[in-house]
Amino acid sequence: MPGGADIDPVVRFILQLGLLIVFTRMGGIWLRRWFRLPGVLGELISGMIIGPYALGRFNWPLVGPIFRLTAAGAVPPELHAIAIFASVILLFLCGLETDLSTFLRYSIAGTFVGIGGVLLSFYLGAGCAVWFGLADSWVSPTALFLGAIATATSVGISARILSERRKMDAPEGVIILAAAVFDDVLGIIVLAIVMGMARAAAAGQGIAWNSVAAIAIKAFGLWIAATATGLLLARRLARLLKWFQSPGAIAAVALGCALLVAGLFEMAGLAMIIGAYVLGLALSRTDIVQLVQAEIQGLHNILVPVFFGTMGMMVNLAVIPSVLKIGLIYAVLAILSKTAGCALPALLCGFNRRGALRIGIGMLPRGEVALIIAGIGLSSGAIGENVFGVAILMTLITTLLGPLLLARSFDHPGSGLRRPADAARTQGKDIVLFFASPDMADFMRARIIRAFRNEEFYVYRLSPDASTYHIRKDDMFFTLDHEENSVTLRVPAKDETLARLVIAEEMLTLRSMLHMARENGQLDNMEHELVAGLFGGPNEDDPT
Amino acid sequence: MNPKKPLTAETINLNLKGDTKEAILAEMVDLLTASGHIRDRDAVLRAVSEREKRMSTGMQNGIAIPHGKTDSVDCLIAALGIKRSGVDFGALDGQPSSIFVMTVSPDSRTGPHIQFLAEISRPLNDPAVRAKILAAASREEVLHLLIG
Repeated sequence: MPGGADIDPVVRFILQLGLLIVFTRMGGIWLRRWFRLPGVLGELISGMIIGPYALGRFNWPLVGPIFRLTAAGAVPPELHAIAIFASVILLFLCGLETDLSTFLRYSIAGTFVGIGGVLLSFYLGAGCAVWFGLADSWVSPTALFLGAIATATSVGISARILSERRKMDAPEGVIILAAAVFDDVLGIIVLAIVMGMARAAAAGQGIAWNSVAAIAIKAFGLWIAATATGLLLARRLARLLKWFQSPGAIAAVALGCALLVAGLFEMAGLAMIIGAYVLGLALSRTDIVQLVQAEIQGLHNILVPVFFGTMGMMVNLAVIPSVLKIGLIYAVLAILSKTAGCALPALLCGFNRRGALRIGIGMLPRGEVALIIAGIGLSSGAIGENVFGVAILMTLITTLLGPLLLARSFDHPGSGLRRPADAARTQGKDIVLFFASPDMADFMRARIIRAFRNEEFYVYRLSPDASTYHIRKDDMFFTLDHEENSVTLRVPAKDETLARLVIAEEMLTLRSMLHMARENGQLDNMEHELVAGLFGGPNEDDPT
Repeated sequence: MNPKKPLTAETINLNLKGDTKEAILAEMVDLLTASGHIRDRDAVLRAVSEREKRMSTGMQNGIAIPHGKTDSVDCLIAALGIKRSGVDFGALDGQPSSIFVMTVSPDSRTGPHIQFLAEISRPLNDPAVRAKILAAASREEVLHLLIG
């Protein structure tokens, strides 16, 4: 089979997908384990290495050039469709993970921080295109896309650092998470506006500032109407989904709905990811959110690296040297704009310079949404390969620097608030239980989880390697942590009575069980019966 | 959840007669039995009494929340009783208990049983609500104070 020219197209696609899954996962794990860097960087770089601009174009034994440049571009159409599907899953999950209640609680500071970051990033991002000759006006698609790409914070990367440092509930952590919600929403609206303007430009219509306003109003109106409808109907939709009973079926139908909404949004002139995000956001307030998240996680784990890989494949490595300088300038502007844009409002909202800087740095990483916007720009022809390369460089640099700087910003243990006493008010209440041994703590963790499930709460472990659980029902949300011989339940003040009563009942059960075990000689009998005769075979020298 | 379902005016007693914990528990179980939701009155009394033996449900500020689990009921049921002069219920603060919220739930079925207890008890944290309940002239008034 010389050069692999006669490979069936379907088989070729399967081979491509397989290669991409294997190499992006390897790249991601390699960077995460050995360099403690975000896995997304490894996935992106893996795509660059095996793509048609690097190793993919060489004539490999059996398969020939596995990835080659075609008229359709650097990514084969089938893989491109898989990448879009992955981006819909990603944004659907992003919406599901949105903590609307935290955002609403800290909405004032979060809104100011989010708006500050988005406005300054858009201004400097678009300005970079205009000032350095990539675009001839502020309303050219290139300027608009570079502005939009610079706005979208990827808070997942910061959230992991906050979680590792146990700062998720610190005032800075809460504001970063709240601002990220606003950032997502604003970023999505900016994308809708930018796409509308880019479409108008592509159709040869001149863009006047009054038409910008009309597009903005239409995009914002559509988004707000869809979001409000989604939130209003969310509980009803959740009830309908529960009719399917099995978690797998509920999640599958929910994802199907996300794809339908995504398609309808695209047909209405908004991006597919906006539709997926809106449905995720609506379901984030229901009690099936953890179930859907857990069931879709497997699909996410397989497909999302494929998305980052295909984004990497689209980077024409030949243009990188020529855009390196402008890419670095864009990255520096993206870093400065987000840090300053978020830190300045934080200073006005009760944070000191340390706290404001932590918030600014926490909002720094750009990731999936920036890449999706860049990908949309490239595939729609609104931006060229050189601008796409600039965007990728910025994403790589901010994703690399963000977590490193955020971790360092917490090295100093000082409070980030001007009045540290305020911190007490922003934190949830911890119910901490200490047990005589880790085994007993683990037993009680299991009992408490079972008790909440009996109360018809949804309980999910955050990840297989973490002993943190989310316990959720309607608008109630608890976090349970198990560490060595302690179990900690973090509860909002309004639901503290319920949490205490549930735990107290389980403690009583434990006490009764211990009492019964002590009183009941049956246990001794059972133990004896279990081990009796284990080594009771006849000896070799037994005369009988 | 809707706290209106398990607690109704007919399972509220504004004037409990008993002077001991045992008498109060029996009187409230009788109140639930009279509502027709209990198959075996003695099994229910045994369930709430055994729970009391493990640890008193007498809380603070005159509130007690006796409860138990038994399959002698098909769903969560609740009763509220008032003993204005108070009864020694072995409360946490050592004070006599005067407002009793009893819940009984099926042993073999899951449901928001403790959640109901927590929600119905929440208004009782307010001293003004407690005072109004103790001074209430009708069962409907108590119901209104607790669940609106």
